[in-house]
Amino acid sequence: MECTTTKEGKLFIVDVAGRLDANTAGKFESNCSDWLAQGETDMIVDMSGVDYISSAGLRSILISAKKLRVHDGDIVFCGLQGMVEEVFKMSGFEKMFKVFATREQAVEG
Amino acid sequence: MTRNSLTFKLALLVLAFSTLILGAVLTTTYLFSRSLIIEQAEENSHIRGREVANLLASLIKPIEQSGDNIGLVLEDADISGIKLENLTHHVVSNNPRLFGMAIAFEPFVHSRDKLFFAPYSYRKDGEMAVTQLGSSDYRYFYKDWYQLPRELGHAVWTEPYFDHDGCEALIASYAVPFYRRQGKAHIFAGVIRADISLDWLQELISSIKLYDSGYAAMISRNGTFIYHPVGELMFNETIFSLAEELGDEELWRIGRDMISGRTGFIQRDSVRDHRPSFLLHMPLPLDGWSLAFLFPVDEVLRDTRALTRSSLITGLLGFVIFTLVISASVRRMISPLGKLSKGAMEIADGNLHAELPAPVSKDEIGQLTESFGQMQESLQSYIENLKRTTTEKERIESELRIAHDIQMGILPKTFPPFPDRVEFDIFASLVPAREVGGDLYDFFFIDENQFCFLIGDVSGKGVPAAFLMAVTKTLLKTVATEGFKPGQILEKVNNDLAEDNEACMFVTLFLAILDTRSGELSYASAGHNPPLVISSAKGEFLPSLHEPVAGAMEGMGYSTVKMTLEPNDMVFLYTDGVTEAMNEDEELYSDKKLLNLVNEKQYNSSQELIQTVAGSVATFAGRAEQSDDITMLGVRYTGEQR
Repeated sequence: MECTTTKEGKLFIVDVAGRLDANTAGKFESNCSDWLAQGETDMIVDMSGVDYISSAGLRSILISAKKLRVHDGDIVFCGLQGMVEEVFKMSGFEKMFKVFATREQAVEG
Repeated sequence: MTRNSLTFKLALLVLAFSTLILGAVLTTTYLFSRSLIIEQAEENSHIRGREVANLLASLIKPIEQSGDNIGLVLEDADISGIKLENLTHHVVSNNPRLFGMAIAFEPFVHSRDKLFFAPYSYRKDGEMAVTQLGSSDYRYFYKDWYQLPRELGHAVWTEPYFDHDGCEALIASYAVPFYRRQGKAHIFAGVIRADISLDWLQELISSIKLYDSGYAAMISRNGTFIYHPVGELMFNETIFSLAEELGDEELWRIGRDMISGRTGFIQRDSVRDHRPSFLLHMPLPLDGWSLAFLFPVDEVLRDTRALTRSSLITGLLGFVIFTLVISASVRRMISPLGKLSKGAMEIADGNLHAELPAPVSKDEIGQLTESFGQMQESLQSYIENLKRTTTEKERIESELRIAHDIQMGILPKTFPPFPDRVEFDIFASLVPAREVGGDLYDFFFIDENQFCFLIGDVSGKGVPAAFLMAVTKTLLKTVATEGFKPGQILEKVNNDLAEDNEACMFVTLFLAILDTRSGELSYASAGHNPPLVISSAKGEFLPSLHEPVAGAMEGMGYSTVKMTLEPNDMVFLYTDGVTEAMNEDEELYSDKKLLNLVNEKQYNSSQELIQTVAGSVATFAGRAEQSDDITMLGVRYTGEQR
């Protein structure tokens, strides 16, 4: 899993690519902590590069979201595809987080 | 220094070789110088012998000549006109080595009236004396000195003899026959006898000294000892009679060689004192007489032996010093080895902190010491590491066991659980992964006819997952037995789980309540895989409700869905351990494969279905390690009534 961050004005966009599973969840979590420490409380996570997500991956998202929400921030998703989109649906993550179909929609928010 | 120590062996080796070399050098030197010295001794004795021979010759020659000359003179001279006494007197007094001289005539040759005529001049007590030989007691015609030249017809040296009639001394004589001419014939007329004193000869020979106690001996033509330091041998024994007496064959051979005029050099024990000696014999210019020198071997070799002895002493002294130096230096060199060996033994016995000697030198032993030190460090760190990882592994193993025990301990495992209920049959199985995945299932009656069954999957693994699984199961049962609808149950449980859930662990749940009288099934799902409903051998996934996993976030709402089961319809609940089971090629078992299997045939009990699926999944996975719990729960509604 690789994370690439982009700053567009006030928006902090994270491009995630690869698998988000038990092996990489910790890295995603610590990346989010670092970004939070840099003052980024609101982030758009573009999941279009993610082809697999496990329950550990979901958990790392929950943990990160919880931290951001403590700082009145939030995390939104866009670009879900295939298996990832299905998992988001089935696990009800779509009901817990704002999920946009495209990056543009997410930016417009 | 024990016999097995390296010091001992090394020192022994070096010293053995140096001893060998020392021995070889000394032996060679000794043998070489010995042969050189012996050669020299032979040469020296030859020279002495020749000196004696020359001296003897120079003394004898004039005596022989005077005898021969007189013989010639008498042949033609008018002997009646010559005063023969004057002649012999004159010759003897002019020749200091000549002891006496006689001119002995045949009977009646000098004068027709005299049987004996033999004027004899000789030395007596330093004065000259004259006498006539021959009397009725002394008929000189029959003496050797007269007979031999007469018979042989030439001059001879006699054997030594004591002259009783003339000089009364021990003498040897040169006897020359002389003749008178009568017409053309030579008529034997008598013998001229020239005497030498053997005292004088003995004195000469006895004065010869070779080395400290060497001596000379002289024998005559027939082997008689003329001179020998053992006085009783002289004139009493011949070399042959002595050889016979001693049973000494070698001596006999020597005697034969000597009288044959040969020269020889041999080593043998001396007759005088039986010391091993060198013997040189050579002929003398005296008609078959022979001279022998004997000189002790040890006197000849004394210097060589002294030299060898002092070399040996020096060598041995050097050897001792060498031994000490070698031992000391080898011991010093390899002393770390002893300590090292002791340290290594201690290490071998398990004491990894045994003290090893510090490497003092840069040689092989130093390197070895250093290597040992490194080995010790590596061993220590390896053991340390091993201890740590073993502890860690044990901890993990024990955690896994705890998690496993928690999980398996709280699941109902008795089937059939309600043997008297004919309305349905139920079967469930949970095969935990090595690292427990936190799956759960449960079933219980809420009241007489409301039968609740559920399945769940906790996110995460190990002890935390097992704990959450236990908590969830307890909460579900507590809430469910209060009579809520499935959606409400999940809502309450979600709130309870989400409260203070710092770890953000969550659980997917599917919970259903079956009315055993009507077959009405109400259910709710918290993000769980949609179960299969199998009706008339055809399976169908229940539509996903897309409602959130439990425990993630408080305040989530869950809906309750209702449906009615026909008799023999089956509900098949499972976790993703089934559909995401992987084979060795990392392929997933998949929903599709599950559906196909379910549709393959009519299953007559939930147990049959579950065991078939379990078998299929196990076959598919092959040798791949199971990564997640595989959990299934099946309920078949029979439609029968109690």
